[in-house]
Amino acid sequence: MNPVVEPAGGLFRLSLKDALFIGFCAVFAVLARMMLRLHLHISGHAMLVTAFFLLLARGSVRYRFAASFAGLLAGSASIFLGFAKSGPFMLVKYLAVALVIDLAGLLMPNLFRNYFWCALVGGSAGATKFFTAYSVNFLAGMDRTVNFQASLLEAAGAILFGVLGGLLVPVVLRRLHAYGVIS
Amino acid sequence: MLSVKLFSPRKVSLPSASLEGPAPAGDAKWVGLRMLLALTLSCLAFAARTIPFLLVLTTVNLALLWYLGNGQISLRRELKAFVWQTLVILALYLIRFQNLTGLWGGFQISWQLFLALLPSMTFVRSTSQTRIVQALNRVMPCRTAFVLSTCLKFAPHLLAEIRSIYEGQVLRGARILPRDLAKPWHWIDLLHCVVVPAVVQSMALAGNIALAARARDFGSQPKRTCWPGL
Repeated sequence: MNPVVEPAGGLFRLSLKDALFIGFCAVFAVLARMMLRLHLHISGHAMLVTAFFLLLARGSVRYRFAASFAGLLAGSASIFLGFAKSGPFMLVKYLAVALVIDLAGLLMPNLFRNYFWCALVGGSAGATKFFTAYSVNFLAGMDRTVNFQASLLEAAGAILFGVLGGLLVPVVLRRLHAYGVIS
Repeated sequence: MLSVKLFSPRKVSLPSASLEGPAPAGDAKWVGLRMLLALTLSCLAFAARTIPFLLVLTTVNLALLWYLGNGQISLRRELKAFVWQTLVILALYLIRFQNLTGLWGGFQISWQLFLALLPSMTFVRSTSQTRIVQALNRVMPCRTAFVLSTCLKFAPHLLAEIRSIYEGQVLRGARILPRDLAKPWHWIDLLHCVVVPAVVQSMALAGNIALAARARDFGSQPKRTCWPGL
Protein backbone atom coordinates (compact mmCIF):
# COMPACT_ATOMS: atom_id res chain seq x y z
CA MET A 1 0.00 0.00 0.00
CA ASN A 2 1.22 3.49 -0.84
CA PRO A 3 2.07 5.77 2.05
CA VAL A 4 -0.49 8.58 2.36
CA VAL A 5 1.83 11.51 1.77
CA GLU A 6 0.96 14.48 -0.34
CA PRO A 7 3.97 15.36 -2.53
CA ALA A 8 5.03 18.99 -2.27
CA GLY A 9 4.36 21.30 -5.18
CA GLY A 10 6.97 23.42 -6.90
CA LEU A 11 7.54 25.94 -9.64
CA PHE A 12 6.44 23.54 -12.35
CA ARG A 13 4.40 20.94 -10.51
CA LEU A 14 1.15 21.65 -8.77
CA SER A 15 0.36 19.47 -5.76
CA LEU A 16 -3.26 18.48 -5.14
CA LYS A 17 -3.33 20.51 -1.91
CA ASP A 18 -2.15 23.64 -3.71
CA ALA A 19 -4.57 22.97 -6.58
CA LEU A 20 -7.44 22.73 -4.10
CA PHE A 21 -6.36 25.93 -2.33
CA ILE A 22 -6.24 27.71 -5.69
CA GLY A 23 -9.68 26.26 -6.39
CA PHE A 24 -11.01 27.73 -3.15
CA CYS A 25 -9.54 31.12 -4.07
CA ALA A 26 -11.28 30.88 -7.45
CA VAL A 27 -14.61 29.89 -5.91
CA PHE A 28 -14.29 32.70 -3.35
CA ALA A 29 -13.61 35.19 -6.12
CA VAL A 30 -16.90 34.20 -7.72
CA LEU A 31 -18.92 33.88 -4.50
CA ALA A 32 -17.69 37.20 -3.12
CA ARG A 33 -19.00 38.87 -6.25
CA MET A 34 -22.34 37.15 -5.75
CA MET A 35 -22.75 37.88 -2.04
CA LEU A 36 -21.16 41.27 -1.60
CA ARG A 37 -22.80 42.94 -4.54
CA LEU A 38 -22.11 46.57 -3.88
CA HIS A 39 -24.84 48.03 -6.12
CA LEU A 40 -22.52 50.96 -6.72
CA HIS A 41 -23.23 51.12 -10.44
CA ILE A 42 -19.52 51.83 -10.76
CA SER A 43 -18.10 49.85 -13.60
CA GLY A 44 -15.28 47.50 -12.65
CA HIS A 45 -15.90 47.17 -8.90
CA ALA A 46 -15.85 43.37 -9.28
CA MET A 47 -12.15 43.71 -10.09
CA LEU A 48 -11.46 44.29 -6.38
CA VAL A 49 -12.20 40.67 -5.45
CA THR A 50 -10.93 39.25 -8.74
CA ALA A 51 -7.52 40.92 -8.44
CA PHE A 52 -7.31 40.15 -4.72
CA PHE A 53 -8.04 36.43 -4.96
CA LEU A 54 -5.98 35.82 -8.09
CA LEU A 55 -3.01 37.66 -6.58
CA LEU A 56 -3.51 35.75 -3.34
CA ALA A 57 -3.56 32.43 -5.20
CA ARG A 58 -0.30 33.28 -6.97
CA GLY A 59 1.33 34.76 -3.88
CA SER A 60 0.57 31.81 -1.59
CA VAL A 61 1.61 29.02 -3.92
CA ARG A 62 4.98 28.52 -5.55
CA TYR A 63 3.50 27.18 -8.81
CA ARG A 64 4.23 29.72 -11.53
CA PHE A 65 0.88 29.42 -13.34
CA ALA A 66 -1.22 29.51 -10.17
CA ALA A 67 -3.15 32.65 -11.17
CA SER A 68 -3.95 31.24 -14.62
CA PHE A 69 -5.22 28.04 -13.03
CA ALA A 70 -7.31 30.10 -10.60
CA GLY A 71 -8.59 32.21 -13.50
CA LEU A 72 -9.57 29.11 -15.46
CA LEU A 73 -11.41 27.70 -12.46
CA ALA A 74 -13.08 31.02 -11.58
CA GLY A 75 -14.24 31.52 -15.17
CA SER A 76 -15.66 28.00 -15.33
CA ALA A 77 -17.26 28.34 -11.90
CA SER A 78 -18.87 31.67 -12.77
CA ILE A 79 -20.30 30.22 -15.97
CA PHE A 80 -21.71 27.24 -14.11
CA LEU A 81 -22.99 29.26 -11.16
CA GLY A 82 -24.90 31.49 -13.53
CA PHE A 83 -22.90 34.62 -12.89
CA ALA A 84 -21.44 35.04 -16.34
CA LYS A 85 -22.89 38.32 -17.56
CA SER A 86 -21.03 38.00 -20.83
CA GLY A 87 -21.45 34.27 -21.30
CA PRO A 88 -18.39 32.39 -22.54
CA PHE A 89 -16.34 35.62 -22.48
CA MET A 90 -16.26 35.40 -18.69
CA LEU A 91 -13.54 32.79 -19.01
CA VAL A 92 -11.48 35.11 -21.21
CA LYS A 93 -11.96 37.98 -18.73
CA TYR A 94 -10.62 35.97 -15.81
CA LEU A 95 -7.81 34.48 -17.86
CA ALA A 96 -6.67 37.89 -19.11
CA VAL A 97 -6.39 39.17 -15.53
CA ALA A 98 -4.64 35.96 -14.45
CA LEU A 99 -2.10 36.05 -17.27
CA VAL A 100 -0.99 39.55 -16.28
CA ILE A 101 -0.50 38.39 -12.68
CA ASP A 102 1.41 35.26 -13.73
CA LEU A 103 3.59 37.25 -16.09
CA ALA A 104 4.39 39.76 -13.34
CA GLY A 105 5.10 36.90 -10.92
CA LEU A 106 7.44 35.37 -13.48
CA LEU A 107 9.39 38.61 -13.89
CA MET A 108 9.42 39.61 -10.21
CA PRO A 109 8.96 36.56 -7.95
CA ASN A 110 9.01 38.65 -4.75
CA LEU A 111 6.46 41.25 -5.78
CA PHE A 112 3.67 39.80 -3.63
CA ARG A 113 5.08 41.21 -0.37
CA ASN A 114 5.49 44.71 -1.78
CA TYR A 115 2.58 47.18 -1.69
CA PHE A 116 3.73 49.23 -4.66
CA TRP A 117 4.27 46.30 -7.01
CA CYS A 118 1.06 44.59 -5.91
CA ALA A 119 -0.90 47.78 -6.57
CA LEU A 120 0.79 48.14 -9.96
CA VAL A 121 0.05 44.55 -10.93
CA GLY A 122 -3.54 44.88 -9.65
CA GLY A 123 -3.97 48.01 -11.77
CA SER A 124 -2.43 46.35 -14.82
CA ALA A 125 -4.68 43.35 -14.32
CA GLY A 126 -7.65 45.72 -14.12
CA ALA A 127 -6.52 47.37 -17.37
CA THR A 128 -7.19 44.13 -19.24
CA LYS A 129 -10.85 45.02 -18.87
CA PHE A 130 -10.32 47.57 -21.65
CA PHE A 131 -9.34 44.86 -24.13
CA THR A 132 -12.03 42.40 -23.12
CA ALA A 133 -14.77 45.06 -23.10
CA TYR A 134 -13.52 46.44 -26.44
CA SER A 135 -13.47 42.95 -27.99
CA VAL A 136 -16.98 42.10 -26.83
CA ASN A 137 -18.39 45.42 -28.09
CA PHE A 138 -16.38 45.16 -31.32
CA LEU A 139 -17.82 41.71 -31.98
CA ALA A 140 -21.28 43.15 -31.39
CA GLY A 141 -20.47 45.80 -34.03
CA MET A 142 -20.43 48.89 -31.82
CA ASP A 143 -19.22 52.17 -33.34
CA ARG A 144 -15.45 52.42 -32.91
CA THR A 145 -15.37 55.75 -31.06
CA VAL A 146 -18.24 54.85 -28.74
CA ASN A 147 -16.62 51.48 -28.14
CA PHE A 148 -13.33 53.15 -27.25
CA GLN A 149 -15.02 55.54 -24.82
CA ALA A 150 -17.21 52.86 -23.24
CA SER A 151 -14.26 50.47 -22.82
CA LEU A 152 -12.10 53.24 -21.40
CA LEU A 153 -14.83 54.10 -18.91
CA GLU A 154 -15.08 50.47 -17.80
CA ALA A 155 -11.31 50.04 -17.66
CA ALA A 156 -10.82 53.18 -15.52
CA GLY A 157 -13.04 51.74 -12.80
CA ALA A 158 -11.43 48.31 -13.10
CA ILE A 159 -7.93 49.80 -12.75
CA LEU A 160 -8.93 51.71 -9.64
CA PHE A 161 -10.47 48.66 -7.97
CA GLY A 162 -7.62 46.44 -9.21
CA VAL A 163 -5.16 48.72 -7.41
CA LEU A 164 -7.25 48.50 -4.22
CA GLY A 165 -7.42 44.70 -4.51
CA GLY A 166 -3.66 44.56 -5.05
CA LEU A 167 -3.00 46.70 -1.97
CA LEU A 168 -4.81 44.18 0.25
CA VAL A 169 -2.63 41.25 -0.78
CA PRO A 170 0.66 42.05 1.02
CA VAL A 171 -1.25 42.52 4.32
CA VAL A 172 -2.73 39.03 4.09
CA LEU A 173 0.45 37.37 2.81
CA ARG A 174 2.55 38.90 5.58
CA ARG A 175 0.13 37.56 8.19
CA LEU A 176 0.14 34.12 6.58
CA HIS A 177 3.92 34.18 6.50
CA ALA A 178 4.04 35.22 10.16
CA TYR A 179 1.77 32.29 11.08
CA GLY A 180 4.07 29.97 9.14
CA VAL A 181 1.25 28.88 6.83
CA ILE A 182 3.23 29.81 3.72
CA SER A 183 6.98 29.84 3.21
CA MET B 1 -27.84 34.27 17.46
CA LEU B 2 -26.34 37.25 15.78
CA SER B 3 -27.98 38.53 12.68
CA VAL B 4 -25.13 38.66 10.25
CA LYS B 5 -26.36 40.92 7.51
CA LEU B 6 -23.13 40.79 5.58
CA PHE B 7 -23.75 37.19 4.69
CA SER B 8 -27.51 37.11 4.64
CA PRO B 9 -28.82 39.26 1.76
CA ARG B 10 -28.16 36.91 -1.11
CA LYS B 11 -28.78 33.21 -1.18
CA VAL B 12 -26.12 31.32 -3.03
CA SER B 13 -27.22 28.02 -4.46
CA LEU B 14 -24.41 25.56 -4.64
CA PRO B 15 -24.31 21.98 -5.80
CA SER B 16 -25.40 19.28 -3.42
CA ALA B 17 -24.22 16.14 -5.06
CA SER B 18 -25.26 13.85 -2.27
CA LEU B 19 -28.94 14.58 -2.83
CA GLU B 20 -28.99 13.84 -6.49
CA GLY B 21 -26.55 11.02 -6.94
CA PRO B 22 -24.52 10.36 -10.04
CA ALA B 23 -26.03 11.13 -13.43
CA PRO B 24 -26.45 8.40 -15.99
CA ALA B 25 -24.10 8.71 -18.95
CA GLY B 26 -26.98 9.68 -21.29
CA ASP B 27 -28.00 12.52 -18.96
CA ALA B 28 -24.46 13.93 -18.96
CA LYS B 29 -24.52 13.84 -22.75
CA TRP B 30 -27.83 15.79 -22.75
CA VAL B 31 -26.32 18.40 -20.40
CA GLY B 32 -23.29 18.64 -22.68
CA LEU B 33 -25.58 19.25 -25.65
CA ARG B 34 -27.43 22.00 -23.76
CA MET B 35 -24.09 23.57 -22.84
CA LEU B 36 -23.04 23.53 -26.50
CA LEU B 37 -26.38 25.00 -27.57
CA ALA B 38 -26.05 27.83 -25.03
CA LEU B 39 -22.53 28.65 -26.22
CA THR B 40 -23.63 28.56 -29.89
CA LEU B 41 -26.58 30.88 -29.24
CA SER B 42 -24.30 33.27 -27.30
CA CYS B 43 -21.87 33.36 -30.22
CA LEU B 44 -24.70 33.81 -32.74
CA ALA B 45 -25.83 36.92 -30.85
CA PHE B 46 -22.58 38.61 -31.86
CA ALA B 47 -23.11 37.70 -35.51
CA ALA B 48 -26.70 39.03 -35.58
CA ARG B 49 -26.52 42.40 -37.33
CA THR B 50 -30.00 42.60 -38.88
CA ILE B 51 -33.38 43.05 -37.22
CA PRO B 52 -34.92 39.82 -38.62
CA PHE B 53 -31.89 37.84 -37.37
CA LEU B 54 -32.17 39.44 -33.94
CA LEU B 55 -35.91 38.78 -33.81
CA VAL B 56 -35.42 35.12 -34.78
CA LEU B 57 -32.67 34.74 -32.18
CA THR B 58 -34.83 36.37 -29.51
CA THR B 59 -37.71 34.03 -30.36
CA VAL B 60 -35.43 30.98 -30.20
CA ASN B 61 -34.03 32.15 -26.85
CA LEU B 62 -37.47 32.78 -25.37
CA ALA B 63 -38.76 29.43 -26.64
CA LEU B 64 -35.75 27.70 -25.10
CA LEU B 65 -36.25 29.61 -21.86
CA TRP B 66 -39.88 28.52 -21.73
CA TYR B 67 -39.16 24.91 -22.73
CA LEU B 68 -36.18 24.28 -20.43
CA GLY B 69 -37.45 26.30 -17.49
CA ASN B 70 -41.05 24.99 -17.70
CA GLY B 71 -42.21 28.62 -17.50
CA GLN B 72 -40.68 28.95 -14.02
CA ILE B 73 -37.69 31.18 -14.77
CA SER B 74 -38.13 34.89 -14.06
CA LEU B 75 -36.26 37.39 -16.20
CA ARG B 76 -36.69 40.35 -13.86
CA ARG B 77 -33.05 40.64 -12.70
CA GLU B 78 -31.70 40.24 -16.23
CA LEU B 79 -34.19 42.77 -17.61
CA LYS B 80 -33.10 45.31 -14.99
CA ALA B 81 -29.47 44.82 -16.05
CA PHE B 82 -30.57 45.15 -19.69
CA VAL B 83 -32.36 48.45 -19.04
CA TRP B 84 -29.36 49.86 -17.15
CA GLN B 85 -26.92 48.75 -19.85
CA THR B 86 -29.17 50.16 -22.58
CA LEU B 87 -29.36 53.55 -20.86
CA VAL B 88 -25.55 53.78 -20.58
CA ILE B 89 -25.02 52.76 -24.20
CA LEU B 90 -27.74 55.13 -25.45
CA ALA B 91 -26.21 58.02 -23.51
CA LEU B 92 -22.81 57.29 -25.03
CA TYR B 93 -24.31 57.08 -28.53
CA LEU B 94 -26.13 60.36 -27.97
CA ILE B 95 -22.88 62.06 -26.91
CA ARG B 96 -21.07 60.57 -29.89
CA PHE B 97 -23.60 61.35 -32.64
CA GLN B 98 -25.25 64.45 -31.10
CA ASN B 99 -28.64 63.42 -32.55
CA LEU B 100 -31.34 60.83 -32.08
CA THR B 101 -30.56 58.84 -35.24
CA GLY B 102 -27.69 57.00 -33.58
CA LEU B 103 -29.91 55.78 -30.77
CA TRP B 104 -31.31 52.86 -32.74
CA GLY B 105 -27.77 51.55 -33.33
CA GLY B 106 -27.08 51.78 -29.61
CA PHE B 107 -30.26 49.92 -28.78
CA GLN B 108 -29.38 47.19 -31.27
CA ILE B 109 -25.97 46.73 -29.65
CA SER B 110 -27.53 46.48 -26.22
CA TRP B 111 -30.04 43.95 -27.56
CA GLN B 112 -27.20 41.86 -28.99
CA LEU B 113 -25.29 41.92 -25.70
CA PHE B 114 -28.43 40.83 -23.84
CA LEU B 115 -28.93 37.94 -26.26
CA ALA B 116 -25.32 36.89 -25.65
CA LEU B 117 -26.07 36.61 -21.92
CA LEU B 118 -29.51 35.00 -22.07
CA PRO B 119 -28.59 31.46 -23.26
CA SER B 120 -26.00 30.92 -20.50
CA MET B 121 -28.46 32.17 -17.91
CA THR B 122 -31.20 29.85 -19.22
CA PHE B 123 -28.82 26.90 -19.26
CA VAL B 124 -27.56 27.43 -15.75
CA ARG B 125 -30.98 28.05 -14.23
CA SER B 126 -32.57 25.05 -15.90
CA THR B 127 -29.80 22.53 -15.21
CA SER B 128 -28.76 21.10 -11.86
CA GLN B 129 -25.23 22.10 -10.96
CA THR B 130 -24.25 18.53 -10.15
CA ARG B 131 -25.16 17.49 -13.68
CA ILE B 132 -23.14 20.41 -15.03
CA VAL B 133 -20.07 19.39 -13.04
CA GLN B 134 -20.44 15.79 -14.17
CA ALA B 135 -20.67 16.93 -17.78
CA LEU B 136 -17.57 19.02 -17.10
CA ASN B 137 -15.62 15.83 -16.41
CA ARG B 138 -15.96 15.05 -20.10
CA VAL B 139 -14.53 18.32 -21.41
CA MET B 140 -11.90 19.23 -18.80
CA PRO B 141 -8.78 17.37 -17.70
CA CYS B 142 -9.95 15.03 -14.93
CA ARG B 143 -7.71 16.62 -12.30
CA THR B 144 -9.05 20.12 -13.07
CA ALA B 145 -12.64 18.86 -13.08
CA PHE B 146 -12.00 17.14 -9.74
CA VAL B 147 -10.59 20.34 -8.22
CA LEU B 148 -13.49 22.45 -9.54
CA SER B 149 -16.22 20.05 -8.45
CA THR B 150 -14.60 19.48 -5.03
CA CYS B 151 -14.21 23.20 -4.38
CA LEU B 152 -17.82 23.87 -5.40
CA LYS B 153 -18.98 21.00 -3.20
CA PHE B 154 -17.01 22.16 -0.16
CA ALA B 155 -17.71 25.88 -0.62
CA PRO B 156 -20.90 25.84 1.54
CA HIS B 157 -18.92 24.11 4.32
CA LEU B 158 -16.20 26.72 4.09
CA LEU B 159 -18.76 29.54 4.03
CA ALA B 160 -20.28 28.15 7.23
CA GLU B 161 -16.80 28.15 8.81
CA ILE B 162 -16.25 31.75 7.71
CA ARG B 163 -19.63 32.71 9.14
CA SER B 164 -18.69 31.28 12.54
CA ILE B 165 -15.33 33.07 12.39
CA TYR B 166 -17.18 36.29 11.60
CA GLU B 167 -19.66 35.82 14.44
CA GLY B 168 -16.85 34.97 16.86
CA GLN B 169 -14.95 38.09 15.90
CA VAL B 170 -18.07 40.24 16.27
CA LEU B 171 -18.55 38.82 19.77
CA ARG B 172 -14.94 39.72 20.53
CA GLY B 173 -15.77 43.30 19.57
CA ALA B 174 -14.26 43.54 16.10
CA ARG B 175 -15.61 46.48 14.16
CA ILE B 176 -16.85 44.46 11.23
CA LEU B 177 -20.62 44.80 11.45
CA PRO B 178 -22.22 46.19 8.29
CA ARG B 179 -22.67 49.61 9.91
CA ASP B 180 -18.96 49.63 10.84
CA LEU B 181 -17.96 48.63 7.34
CA ALA B 182 -19.65 51.75 5.99
CA LYS B 183 -16.43 53.45 7.18
CA PRO B 184 -13.57 52.34 4.91
CA TRP B 185 -10.93 52.54 7.69
CA HIS B 186 -12.65 49.55 9.35
CA TRP B 187 -12.11 47.36 6.28
CA ILE B 188 -8.63 46.50 7.49
CA ASP B 189 -10.23 44.91 10.58
CA LEU B 190 -12.30 42.69 8.29
CA LEU B 191 -9.11 41.70 6.53
CA HIS B 192 -7.29 40.79 9.74
CA CYS B 193 -10.22 39.25 11.63
CA VAL B 194 -12.03 37.37 8.89
CA VAL B 195 -10.09 37.13 5.63
CA VAL B 196 -6.79 35.88 7.09
CA PRO B 197 -8.42 33.16 9.28
CA ALA B 198 -10.63 32.19 6.30
CA VAL B 199 -7.56 31.74 4.10
CA VAL B 200 -5.85 29.67 6.81
CA GLN B 201 -9.01 27.58 7.15
CA SER B 202 -9.25 26.99 3.42
CA MET B 203 -5.60 25.93 3.33
CA ALA B 204 -6.23 23.44 6.13
CA LEU B 205 -9.32 22.11 4.37
CA ALA B 206 -7.41 21.78 1.09
CA GLY B 207 -4.72 19.80 2.95
CA ASN B 208 -7.30 17.46 4.48
CA ILE B 209 -9.09 16.84 1.19
CA ALA B 210 -5.81 16.21 -0.60
CA LEU B 211 -4.78 13.73 2.07
CA ALA B 212 -8.14 11.96 1.88
CA ALA B 213 -7.88 11.78 -1.90
CA ARG B 214 -4.33 10.38 -1.67
CA ALA B 215 -5.56 7.79 0.83
CA ARG B 216 -8.01 6.68 -1.88
CA ASP B 217 -5.17 6.42 -4.38
CA PHE B 218 -6.21 9.55 -6.27
CA GLY B 219 -3.80 10.19 -9.10
CA SER B 220 -2.44 6.65 -9.28
CA GLN B 221 -4.28 6.13 -12.59
CA PRO B 222 -3.89 8.48 -15.56
CA LYS B 223 -7.70 8.71 -15.96
CA ARG B 224 -10.03 9.26 -13.05
CA THR B 225 -11.83 6.12 -11.90
CA CYS B 226 -15.02 6.20 -9.88
CA TRP B 227 -18.18 4.27 -9.15
CA PRO B 228 -20.70 4.25 -10.73
CA GLY B 229 -19.07 5.38 -13.99
CA LEU B 230 -19.34 9.05 -15.01
